Amino acid sequence: MFRLIAHRLLALVPLLLIVSVLTFSFTSLLPSDPVDLILGDTGTQEQHEMLRERLGLNEPVVVRYFQWLGRAAQGDLGTSFFNSVSVTSAVMQRLPVTLSLTFVSALIAIIVGVAAGIAAALRPRSWVDRFATLGATIGQAIPNFWFGLILVAVFAVSLRWFPATGFTPISTSPWEWLRSVTLPSIALGLSSSAAIARQVRSAMVGVLQQDYIRAARAQGLSTRRVIFRHALTNAMIPVVAVLSFQITVLLGGALIVEQVFAINGLGTLAITAVRQQDIPMLQGLVLVMVALVVVVQLATDVIYGLLNPKARPS
Amino acid sequence: MTDRPLLEINDLWVTYWGRSLLGLSGRPFHAVKGANLSIRPGETLGLVGESGSGKSSIANTVLGLVPAAGGSMRFGDEDLAGMGTRYPSNVRKQIQAVFQDPYSSLNPSMTVEEIVTEPLRVHTTMGRSERRQRAVELLELVSLSREHLERHPHQFSGGQRQRIAIASALALQPRLIVLDEPVSALDVSTQNQIINLLYERRDALGIAYLLIAHDLALVHHISDRIAVMYLGHIVEEGPSDRVYRRPAHPYTKALLDAVPLLDPQAQRARRAARKAAPAIDAPRVSTTGCPYQNRCPHVMPRCQTEMPPAYAVDGGGTASCFLHADRPAVLPASGTGKAA
Amino acid sequence: MNPSSASHIRPVPRRFRWRLNATSVITVTTVSVLVLLALLAIFADWLAPYNPLQQNLIKALQGPSAQHWLGTDDLGRDVLSRLIYGCRIAIIAAAEATAIAIILGVPLGLFIGYKGGWWDWVVMRMVEAIVSIPGIMVAIVIIALLGPGLHRAMIALGILFSTSFLRLARGVVLAEREEVYVRSARVVGAPDSRILLRHILPNIAPPLIVQVTLTVGAVLLAEAGLSFIGLGVQPPNASWGTMLNTAAAYMDLNWFLAIPPGLAIIVTVLSVNLLGDVIRDSIGRGIAVGPRSETATASTDTDVPAAGAAANPLPPREDEVLRVEGLRVVVGEGAGVPVITDLSFGISRGETMGLVGESGSGKTMTGLAILGLMSAGLRTTQGSIVLNGKDLRTLSRRQIEQVRGNEVAMVFQDPTTSLNPAFTVGSQIAEVLRTRQGLSQKQAWARVVELIDRVGIPRPEERARAYPHELSGGMAQRIAIARALSCNPSLLIADEPTTALDVTVQQEILDLFRDLQDEFGMAILFVTHDLAVAADICDRISVMYAGEMVETAEVGALFASPRHPYTRGLLSAMPHASDRNPPLPTIRGNVPRPGSWPTGCRFSNRCDFRIAACEARVPLTGTDRLVRCIRADELQLERAS
Repeated sequence: MFRLIAHRLLALVPLLLIVSVLTFSFTSLLPSDPVDLILGDTGTQEQHEMLRERLGLNEPVVVRYFQWLGRAAQGDLGTSFFNSVSVTSAVMQRLPVTLSLTFVSALIAIIVGVAAGIAAALRPRSWVDRFATLGATIGQAIPNFWFGLILVAVFAVSLRWFPATGFTPISTSPWEWLRSVTLPSIALGLSSSAAIARQVRSAMVGVLQQDYIRAARAQGLSTRRVIFRHALTNAMIPVVAVLSFQITVLLGGALIVEQVFAINGLGTLAITAVRQQDIPMLQGLVLVMVALVVVVQLATDVIYGLLNPKARPS
Repeated sequence: MTDRPLLEINDLWVTYWGRSLLGLSGRPFHAVKGANLSIRPGETLGLVGESGSGKSSIANTVLGLVPAAGGSMRFGDEDLAGMGTRYPSNVRKQIQAVFQDPYSSLNPSMTVEEIVTEPLRVHTTMGRSERRQRAVELLELVSLSREHLERHPHQFSGGQRQRIAIASALALQPRLIVLDEPVSALDVSTQNQIINLLYERRDALGIAYLLIAHDLALVHHISDRIAVMYLGHIVEEGPSDRVYRRPAHPYTKALLDAVPLLDPQAQRARRAARKAAPAIDAPRVSTTGCPYQNRCPHVMPRCQTEMPPAYAVDGGGTASCFLHADRPAVLPASGTGKAA
Repeated sequence: MNPSSASHIRPVPRRFRWRLNATSVITVTTVSVLVLLALLAIFADWLAPYNPLQQNLIKALQGPSAQHWLGTDDLGRDVLSRLIYGCRIAIIAAAEATAIAIILGVPLGLFIGYKGGWWDWVVMRMVEAIVSIPGIMVAIVIIALLGPGLHRAMIALGILFSTSFLRLARGVVLAEREEVYVRSARVVGAPDSRILLRHILPNIAPPLIVQVTLTVGAVLLAEAGLSFIGLGVQPPNASWGTMLNTAAAYMDLNWFLAIPPGLAIIVTVLSVNLLGDVIRDSIGRGIAVGPRSETATASTDTDVPAAGAAANPLPPREDEVLRVEGLRVVVGEGAGVPVITDLSFGISRGETMGLVGESGSGKTMTGLAILGLMSAGLRTTQGSIVLNGKDLRTLSRRQIEQVRGNEVAMVFQDPTTSLNPAFTVGSQIAEVLRTRQGLSQKQAWARVVELIDRVGIPRPEERARAYPHELSGGMAQRIAIARALSCNPSLLIADEPTTALDVTVQQEILDLFRDLQDEFGMAILFVTHDLAVAADICDRISVMYAGEMVETAEVGALFASPRHPYTRGLLSAMPHASDRNPPLPTIRGNVPRPGSWPTGCRFSNRCDFRIAACEARVPLTGTDRLVRCIRADELQLERAS
């Protein structure tokens, strides 16, 4: 177990480095000069130079990258160009909001997706299968933010079961937290649960045709045992392999769904940063998101290794 | 037949490198450890061994699909080992192949005509009609006909597909065809059709075959000489009949004894003999010496430390076994040229 | 034949036909939707009732009416007109982003896939990096670089989605490069460019088309999302995403605003995705070559009961463990295509019976039919399978689960695939002992080690903790045998258990079967294509050809004097049968597939002794040994003379 984690961790180091280079170089390519952006047409030549010096823009790109990386490694993502707020604190303040949405929607997507996928795979071409497959196909075609709008119209505005907007931190009230994240998470998780259902179904159908399933049945093991122990363990291997991708999708989707529910998360931060071309903020956001994805990937890699003995380091 | 070999392999090494975590080179695995072989024009050499013996690695190296890690391979006047996997056209034309699985060896998106004439397009300037003419001739050589030209591989049975593969291999009139388990994927009742076809074509066109197979009995039918491989080493080599009837290496003997006989009575007697034979002691773990020492009933202390050289054997050929140490050594011990 | 079995003939299900129809309905519908969309986009100027940008604040936020079929938005603009113009944006967006994605992704993917090495490593790490950032965030960063707007947003999405095309192209190259036919092309000497373009590239087309449909769907959703948050199409231009942006602001005043653009997106994306599914399925179907049912009817229902089988059934043998009587297996819907017909045999305690035949003879199917484990689509329609006095065909699912493992077990051809790769081999045997025999964890494990030791594996405690992929083929097969024997079944079905193994290992496994039979006393049904293996292990052999038994005899008698021409042909074609040089004896022609069997004697089209009477169905005849050939006696005399 420890070896497995260490092994995976090591494999993720190049990924993080490359992401940091990409992030840094992309955002450094911004067409407009940040000094002009901040000061506009006002300010003297001297003020411009001073700001340039203060922002460290006179250093060569490589030096700036390593300075940025070094600070980032210590948790300092720089300062916003516009309101002199620390990027780290701005991001950390909103992180729990976006994480709540991502986490709850991932939970919904996995539970609904796996259950529907298994049900469909057990009886291929039955009505259950058709219903699940059709549902999954439609689910993948619905934009999450539109589904959010409809959920708000029905369950918040008309029925008043849930709040239409806003977010309550879990520390304030777990119950209110749950009420505030339920609708956004359902909206967000719909298409992922559809995608997971399709993957589980096809993996399960494939596994059920394997020799070892037939061999397990030939030993007289009960159908339930064959399906849930022998088939599901193997069917989950390819599903887990793409799970971190699904969670990445959810994280991205959260940025948009937040707007529907007027939730002040990373999405709002990102949109504002784009409009203002706030480089440090964008860099920080990308890096934090990648860090999140990397943690998720590490977790799924470990689960993958536990499920698939062939993937364990020898 | 002339005495000048068509293909001469000396101290051939084939090595695969495992990949480690970061994509850097890992540990080497030596699939072939210093093999010596030669094939004369028009001759058939059967290369026999179990899975993992390195026989397919030799085939792939001769075909230029895998580079040789050491040693030499002379084909006529050309040094194949020096060319790596980039054979020039004049060499490629002369060495063709038929692979084991006729279901995956034919491109499913091409028609039979395209498959059979693919070598002609690559190596000749023949026009379309000329190629079609040649395709018909080739199909007729393998007992198929003009009507099959437009069809796709999935419309044929395994035996017919193998005929198509043979037609394609014959297209350039090569001097050597590597046959990698050409019938083992076929039904018993169609296997012999293909063997007969290969045999007829060889005699008519004077092609040499390097026949890779796991079945000694089958190889015996159509080979002039047989070489036996075990764990990357060629342990015995010699005229087909001699190797089949009077195997000199204990491994060859074990291989022959393991092939079930069609006679139930003889088979019963053999099983009784096997049971009566004393069990071989628990495997000795030794990285030096003869590769077969762990399974050999005749193992001697010497086998654990020294790699036996190839000794001459009565009736022709060689065996790398100290049981024949009274005879002159023809070749130095294989696998000693490099540290394994 | 067993009259009770009539009730097992199932009614004709019509699912298959329905499915075909459903597929064509989906195709027609989705294509129509997409064509309609294209027409709306092209002729928007004529079809839209109003100018999409024309404001009329007096009529703002109205519901559907005769003038405004879909109502008006916050600025009094006609929703229908904006929706129609939105089609134009949607098509431009999808085409632009998908084209960029293909142009960037495919060539680079082909290149790095074929080239490999450092190129591949560097590009793939960059792709992994991009993929690990949420897609919308990548788009946001690129838009930050380029500025908002439709075309810029589409460039962003194009770059983003190019990673999936890159990976697809690379994957196809890597997969195809290992194909034997690509190896053949390299042996032929085709240059790299030709291998890439002629042999590999054609295979990319099917998955590429599917990927295009997926991408178009994803682009439409992403464009809507970006426009919704204000980074895509800029107001006042009408796109479905911007319309939803407006709708979101007025949800409490006029929720209907959200419906038309939402449905437009859903219907479009759904159509594209469904079309992709249909294309993918049809690609998969094109290659599969199954039995053709139209040719089947000729030979099917003329099943003649074996002469004597109906009148005087074969006398049961002494101490019989298994008796199969008049078994018929078919594949497909309705009457189906028969794969096994009129099969009867019995096996006694401690006896090994061989079932020998080539591919398509139905020998493997017979073993699976006994266990009730045939693949989907195959079913037994007639006959009985009596094991220890119970007809397995009449048992419920729970009852047959009780029989499996306890009374009959099976060993499969490929030991490395018949063991579950996810669990240790010991735990797989222990599981059987615990669930079937109620042993405790500790008892079960002790018995596991004992069994593994019994099948001749050294260091059993250690090996019990190994995973299947850590064992050699021979070792894995020993484990599979240990598992099969764990509950001491009275019948063991061994399906080509040595075919995947090396010949020296095969010998060890065959010896193991013998020893275990002496100890456990089970009957063995040994399925093999190799007559020599059967000669070694079997007491009695049945030869099968094209779904029926053609000859059955004691092993000595069969090899001494085979009576059916097929058996004789097969025997003389065995590699070690003769010492002659080629030409070796052959049987002409090929094994016929189910569905294309000759009407009379199924071997007649390959038989050298065929006469006119062979056109009729031939019964199985004889007393001590059985043969299905009307000329058997005659040929026997001929051979003797």
